[in-house]
Amino acid sequence: MLDRKTAPPVKLLSDRPFREPAYDTLKNGLPVYLLEGGTEEFVKVEVVVRAGSYHQHKPLVAYATANLLRYGTKGRSREEINEMLDFYGAFLHLDAQKDMISVGMFVLNKHLEPALDLLAEMLQEPAFSEDDMHSFLKNQQQVHLLNQKKVSHLARTYFNELIYGEDHPYGYRLKTPDFDKVERKDLIDFHTRYFHGGNAFILVAGRVPEDMAERLEQRFGRDDSPDPVSASSPGYPVISPGQRKVHLEVPYALQSAIRIGKQLFNRTHPSHHKLKITNALLGGYYGSRLMQNIRQDKGYTYGIGSNIISLVHSGYFFITSQVGADVREAALEEVYRELKALRTVPAEKREMEILKNYLSGSFLRSFDGPLAQKERFKELVMFGLDVSHYDEYLNTLKTITAEDIMECAGDYLHEDGMMEVVVGR
Amino acid sequence: MEINTMVKFEKRTLPNGLRVLVHRDETTPLAAFNLLYDVGSRDEVPGKTGFAHLFEHLMFEGSVNVADYDRQLQFAGGENNAFTTTDITNYYITLPAQNLEVAFWLESDRMLGLDFSEKKLETQKKVVAEEYRQSYLNQPYGDAMLMLRPMAYQIHPYRWATIGQDIEQILNAGMDDVKDFFRRYYNPSNAILCVSGFVDPQEVFRMAEKWFGDIASGPENGRSLPAEPRQMEVKRKEVFGDVPQHQIFMASHMCGRTHHDYHATDLVSDLLANGESARLTREFVHERKLFSEANAYVTGSIDPGLLMVTAKLHEHISPTEAEELLRHELHKLTKALPDDREMRKVKNRVEATHTYFESSVLAKAMNLCWYELLGDADLLNRQADAYARVEPADIRRVAEEILRPGNLSILHYGKRKD
Repeated sequence: MLDRKTAPPVKLLSDRPFREPAYDTLKNGLPVYLLEGGTEEFVKVEVVVRAGSYHQHKPLVAYATANLLRYGTKGRSREEINEMLDFYGAFLHLDAQKDMISVGMFVLNKHLEPALDLLAEMLQEPAFSEDDMHSFLKNQQQVHLLNQKKVSHLARTYFNELIYGEDHPYGYRLKTPDFDKVERKDLIDFHTRYFHGGNAFILVAGRVPEDMAERLEQRFGRDDSPDPVSASSPGYPVISPGQRKVHLEVPYALQSAIRIGKQLFNRTHPSHHKLKITNALLGGYYGSRLMQNIRQDKGYTYGIGSNIISLVHSGYFFITSQVGADVREAALEEVYRELKALRTVPAEKREMEILKNYLSGSFLRSFDGPLAQKERFKELVMFGLDVSHYDEYLNTLKTITAEDIMECAGDYLHEDGMMEVVVGR
Repeated sequence: MEINTMVKFEKRTLPNGLRVLVHRDETTPLAAFNLLYDVGSRDEVPGKTGFAHLFEHLMFEGSVNVADYDRQLQFAGGENNAFTTTDITNYYITLPAQNLEVAFWLESDRMLGLDFSEKKLETQKKVVAEEYRQSYLNQPYGDAMLMLRPMAYQIHPYRWATIGQDIEQILNAGMDDVKDFFRRYYNPSNAILCVSGFVDPQEVFRMAEKWFGDIASGPENGRSLPAEPRQMEVKRKEVFGDVPQHQIFMASHMCGRTHHDYHATDLVSDLLANGESARLTREFVHERKLFSEANAYVTGSIDPGLLMVTAKLHEHISPTEAEELLRHELHKLTKALPDDREMRKVKNRVEATHTYFESSVLAKAMNLCWYELLGDADLLNRQADAYARVEPADIRRVAEEILRPGNLSILHYGKRKD
C-alpha cells in the first residue's frame, strides 16, 4: 500500500549553481561578459549604460534618451530601423531606470551580424529627431494619465516621494506637464555625457558565438569617451522628510492600495543577505507570514508581499497590497502586527526549514539558463561585486537562525520606523 | 523559415486514462511538472460563471492526505502556480530535479481528493472577489472584455469571461457545486501530465504509475457546447468611464485553434500590429500620429475565437473618424496581397518569438500538454511549418471571411465628461 501521508525525501543543492562568465575588455576599456548556454540558437546582447534618472537634470531625459534610440540614426530613418528589427525578428528592449539604461536585443544567431550593426548605430549615432521626440512623449503622457487612474501606481510613486523627498531623483514623482518640457538638446547632452565605452558594460547570453568578443570589438571598441570625461553624478542629499503618512482619497476606487516601508541600504551593506532572508519570511514568497495571514487566512486581498530594493546610492524596503475598501483598517492593523511579530516571535523549526529550502530552490531557479544568469551577474557588475557575493548569500542561508532574523527585524524593520501610503478609499 | 529545434518527448497512457509526456533536457538542474485539466470557463453553466477559476484556488487548500500543499512544495525548494482560461485549468511546478517525486506526491493527492471545508471556500471566495476588483473593475478599461464577450457571443459559453459574469455569482458558489465539479472534471482521464527537465523518462513513467496509477478513472467529460450562430449584424455599444482617452475595441469571429486557417488568422493579426513596423502601428501611431497605441491579437481558443483590434485615440481625432480609418485599413487586406517581404517579416517574428520565449523547460512542458489536448503533442513541432506554409492568398481569403459585413462587435470606451 502506497504511503501517501509521508513526503518523499528532499535533497537540496550542495554546490554553486553557476559558473563565472567569460570576461573580456575591449580596447577602449568596455567590459564584456559572456554567458554561454541554452538550447536554442539565439543570444541576448545587453548594453548597460551607467546613467539613469539619477543623472538627469530634468525629468524624463534618461527615459526619452533611451527610447528615442530606435527612432532614427544619422544613416537610417525610424521606419527603416523598425522594418529591419521586425524583419530579422530582433526584439529590442529599451529600459531606463534610476541608475542605468539598458539596451537589450534578442536575436537569432543567423541574423546576428546585421542586428549588431544596427545596435551599434542606434547607440552611437542616434538622430534624436525633434518631431519623433514630441510624438513619443505625447504617447507616454497618455500612458502617464492612464497610470494616474491606478491606485497601485499612485501608491508606488507617492511612496517613493515620501521616503526620498520630492527633490531627490529617487523620489521624484512625474507630473503631467513634465512631458512637454523635454528638449532635443537635453537628449543630445545626456547621450554625449554618458553613452560611451568608459561608462558602460556589455552582457551577452545564450548560444554565444566563439568570436563574439571580436564582433563586439569591431562595433563598440573605439575610444569614444567625451572630453573631458565627466560621468560623475550630480550627487543629491537626502532630505529626511518630516511626514510619515500619506493618505490619498480616490472616491471611485473599489480598493485601497497600501505601501508601507522605509529607506534602507543596498546590496553592498554587510547586513544585506540577512535582511533579504528576513524579508522573505515576512513577505517575500507565497508561504510568507503576510501572505498566509492576510490573504490565506483573512481573505482581505488577492495578494500581499514585501521586498527590498537595491539602488546604487541607496536602498529601500516596502510592503505592498491592494485590499478591499471595507477591510482597509483591519488589513493595516494586521500588517503592523506582523512587523512586530517579526522581531518578537521566533520562527518555529519547521517555518525556518521551509524558508531555507524554498530560498535555496529559488536561488537555483534564478540561475537557470543563460538569460537568468545574465540578470544575476548584471546585479554584481552594477554594484562592483564579484561572485563571492552569492557564495556569502548561500552561506548566510545555511547558518542564519530564527534569533538572527528577529535581531535583523529589530534593527531595520521596526514597525515604529515605517512610512505609510494608502491610496483609494 | 527554418524548423526550430525539435522538442523530443516520450508518451505513455496509464490504464486509468492519464496521459503522461516526458521531455529530457540536460542543460538545467530543474524539473518542470505541468498538469493540465481539460476544463475551463466554457464548461460552466449560466448563473454559476467564474467557477472553474474559483475551483483552481480551492486546489491549493489541502487534499485528503496532505494538509499543506504549498508548504510541502516550498520545503522541496519548489515554486508553483496555476491559471484558468476559457478552455483549460493548468497547474505547474518547477523544482530541483532531484526532488521531482514530491511533485508527484502532491499533485496525485489532490487529484485523489480534496479536503473541502466551508471556511476555506468562504475565504477563497473573498480572495477571488478581490482579484475581480483588482484586475477588472478597479482598472481603467479593465471591464472592456467583460462587456465585449456577450456582444460577440450569443449562446456559446465564451460569452462570459473566465473571471465570471459578476462577483455575485462567485459569492453564491456552494459546497455541492464544488464537489460536483471535482468529481466530473478532476480525474486522470480528463488530465494530461508533462514532466520536462533533467529527468530520466523511464523513472518519470515509473513515478507516474506509482502515484497516479491507483486513482480511479472518472466519468466521460461529456462536453457538448452549442455552436455559436454566424453573426450577421454589427453590434455596437458605447460606454463612458473614468479613463484618460477614448479606446475602440473591435471583435470579429474567427476559426478555432485546430482549424487549418488558424495560422493564417494569427498572421493577419501580426501584419496589423505585431512590431513597430506593423501596419496599424506604422500608419496611425508613427506616421499620422492619430493613435497613441494600436493592437491586434487572436484569442486562440479551442472553439471558434475572436480576432481583436484595439486603438487608443489622441484627442484630435473623432471616434467616428478613427473607426472609419481602422476599418478601411483592415479592408486593405482583402484587396491587395501582402508582398513577399512582409510575409517573411511576420513569419520571422513568429519564429523568433517562439525561440526566445518558449525555450524554458516550463514553457515546453506547458506547450506539450496543450498540443496533446489539441490532438497530438507533436503538433508543437509542426507549428513552425504551419506558419511557413501560409501564402499571401491565404491571408486575403481569411481576411475576407473575418471582415465580411456583419462580423463585427465594436465597443467605444469613452472618457466620462466631468
